[in-house]
Amino acid sequence: MRETVHLTIDGCEVAADPTQSILQAYARSGAELTANVGCLGQGVCGSCRCLIRKDQERQVSTALACETRVEAGMQVSFIDHFLPAHVHRYDLSDIRDSWGLLGQIRAVFPEAAYCRHCSGCDRACPKGLPVQSGVASAVAGDLAAAAAVFDPCVMCNLCTLACPENIRPNHLGLFVRRAIAALTLRPVDLMRRLRDIETGAMTVEGPQPATASGEPAEG
Amino acid sequence: MTIQIPYAAALAAIASGSAPPVRSDDLPVETLLARFHPDHGPRARVPLRIGANAGDACHPELARLLESNALIDDLDLARATPLATDVLVIGGGGAGAAAAVTAARQGARVIIAGKLRIGDSNTVMAEGGIQAAVGAEDSLQRHFDDTVRGGHGRGEHMLIAQMVRDAPDVIRWLIDLGMAFDLSQDKALGQTLVRKRAGGTTAARILCHRDFTGLEMMRVLREAVELQGGIEQFMRCPAVELLSHEDGSCAGAVLYDLERRSFLLVRANAVVLATGGSGRLHLQGFPTSNHYGATADGLVLAYRLGARMRDLDSFQYHPTGVAWPRHLAGGLISEAARSAGAVLLNGLGERFVDELQPRDVVAAAILRECAEQRGIMRDGETGVFLDVRGALAARPDLLERDLVSLGHLAAKCGLDPRTEPFLIYPTLHYQNGGIEIDGDGATAVPGLFCAGEVTGGIHGRNRLMGNALLDIISFGRRAGARAAEARPPHAPGRGGLSHVHRWRRELARAGLPADLRAPQLYPTYGNFALRRGTTDRGNP
Repeated sequence: MRETVHLTIDGCEVAADPTQSILQAYARSGAELTANVGCLGQGVCGSCRCLIRKDQERQVSTALACETRVEAGMQVSFIDHFLPAHVHRYDLSDIRDSWGLLGQIRAVFPEAAYCRHCSGCDRACPKGLPVQSGVASAVAGDLAAAAAVFDPCVMCNLCTLACPENIRPNHLGLFVRRAIAALTLRPVDLMRRLRDIETGAMTVEGPQPATASGEPAEG
Repeated sequence: MTIQIPYAAALAAIASGSAPPVRSDDLPVETLLARFHPDHGPRARVPLRIGANAGDACHPELARLLESNALIDDLDLARATPLATDVLVIGGGGAGAAAAVTAARQGARVIIAGKLRIGDSNTVMAEGGIQAAVGAEDSLQRHFDDTVRGGHGRGEHMLIAQMVRDAPDVIRWLIDLGMAFDLSQDKALGQTLVRKRAGGTTAARILCHRDFTGLEMMRVLREAVELQGGIEQFMRCPAVELLSHEDGSCAGAVLYDLERRSFLLVRANAVVLATGGSGRLHLQGFPTSNHYGATADGLVLAYRLGARMRDLDSFQYHPTGVAWPRHLAGGLISEAARSAGAVLLNGLGERFVDELQPRDVVAAAILRECAEQRGIMRDGETGVFLDVRGALAARPDLLERDLVSLGHLAAKCGLDPRTEPFLIYPTLHYQNGGIEIDGDGATAVPGLFCAGEVTGGIHGRNRLMGNALLDIISFGRRAGARAAEARPPHAPGRGGLSHVHRWRRELARAGLPADLRAPQLYPTYGNFALRRGTTDRGNP
């Protein structure tokens, strides 16, 4: 029999196998699991946000419960999702003048210029992204650097919760990334193929009868 | 339990680092599948007893849910909060989001409802990429032929032809929404897309954003849904039943608001069902790579209302699920790893299959190795090796650039992929069959549209890598566009449960139990009961 560790999740005492993630331990404790759960271990959906205080430690940290293993004496609280009242609204299709992009960023995310460098977002990010420097890059107009910072972001919104200036850093990062793609991504191979189809130069000619089922493709 | 080769001995067998030997006892593909693929064998299918597909084959565990009673009664409707909209989209993954955005842009009022948050779906977990035939040497025809062949010739040709023709425009639509794709050359107005190979294809056709293409797609789509005017989001509101008019057409749906513990009655001119698949049913006890919400709800709801299904006995087991460590079991190692040159090795250090064959063939080959005791046992978990060492030696930057997620997964497993192989085992990955649709996602039930994994017919009986992300956007957009054109029905009344009454009579006639209720809504380990203090749910 494996050893068992005891921890507290959302106020409930839970006994768990130490190889389990917090989320697995919580589900196996019999708790009703209809929120704060998603990809169950891949760490890409950002649903299972939680606050963790480890045994004998004062510091509280944020984490994704599916990626974090249980430890004895751990205290865990899930952070429920809600729609914030304050949303930065924009329509990407309105941004047709790429010369004006820097102004658009300031217009849609005016708070970003007032970052007070508290590093709350950096501490909150469960992926360890340098969020604050990403915001600074966006404000400074170094869009490639900002886009690189937010490329692995899973949109868990913990930096948005942590920001006292309502910057919503992850949404700023996504805005920059979306604008770059929509304004600059023009692959010629795709453009050629779209034209092939538009002009009728390429079609799917009378669907061919299937070959013997199960026959693998060449190579 | 079958005896396997101990981990230490298996490691020793591959220690030399020289090119691994290749087994020469290949079985013909048909024999391999028949003997080792989970879709075959005595536990794989039963005939359905009632409904539009009575007599057709279905997986027994799915049949149990399809032949179940509804969760609600007329009394629940009487006290439900009434709402009305033009289009109701059920499901917050890629197909639902694409349908909602498209319908709203056409001027329809849209409600999008999901049991978790918008974006909580298998879409966000997709790693490999999306197929579109953009290469100069590639063609729509080759994409079509590969898809038909990959599906063992059982796919619907019209749907496939339409999807492959849509593909380049799908990519353009996604770029216009702000989704990024990897570029192989990035010179001004001379950019070309990175194209990867998928198992079972004749050309490099997978477009990607690193190895988290689904995350990139879903975060862009979610933001588009949130910022699009005309869309109202109902999160944590699972659909528990569809609504019908007296003539059998779809009139909307009943949602259950988990926060208020009350029902919402949503009347709609059209419903788009985009609820995804069924991996979390853990068919035949398999682990799954699927999202928490994949419990076949849409199939249950649509079948009860009279929609026709197909290929309900055909599932995809992804060859490379994590087998060890146990707490990550079932998690996916993307086909991108094999595409980049990773090899599969049994406990004797031998290669036993061409790693880039279609998924069902590779999965069956792995199950064969384990059944014939050439698998590997580590801490009680059985599997074979996925060895990335050679690929990483040839291209040391792979983990930083192309296989980012693989590097993260290796860290979670506590192993260094440069020196140590992964232990893998097939994992329940995709529902090949589902609801029958036409090219617009329309079903046999007027007013009910479907898109994405909940549908059947596109992928035949085996889906190719990269065709799922294409499917959800191609058909999600089409279903959303058609649903937005739906006019209010001439039939009077607000819609009700007449189809449920008919269904209960059918259940009784067939001698089926009335106390088994579905949709299941959450996996059994979610410990959810619709009515507190009772256990009247599908899976006790």
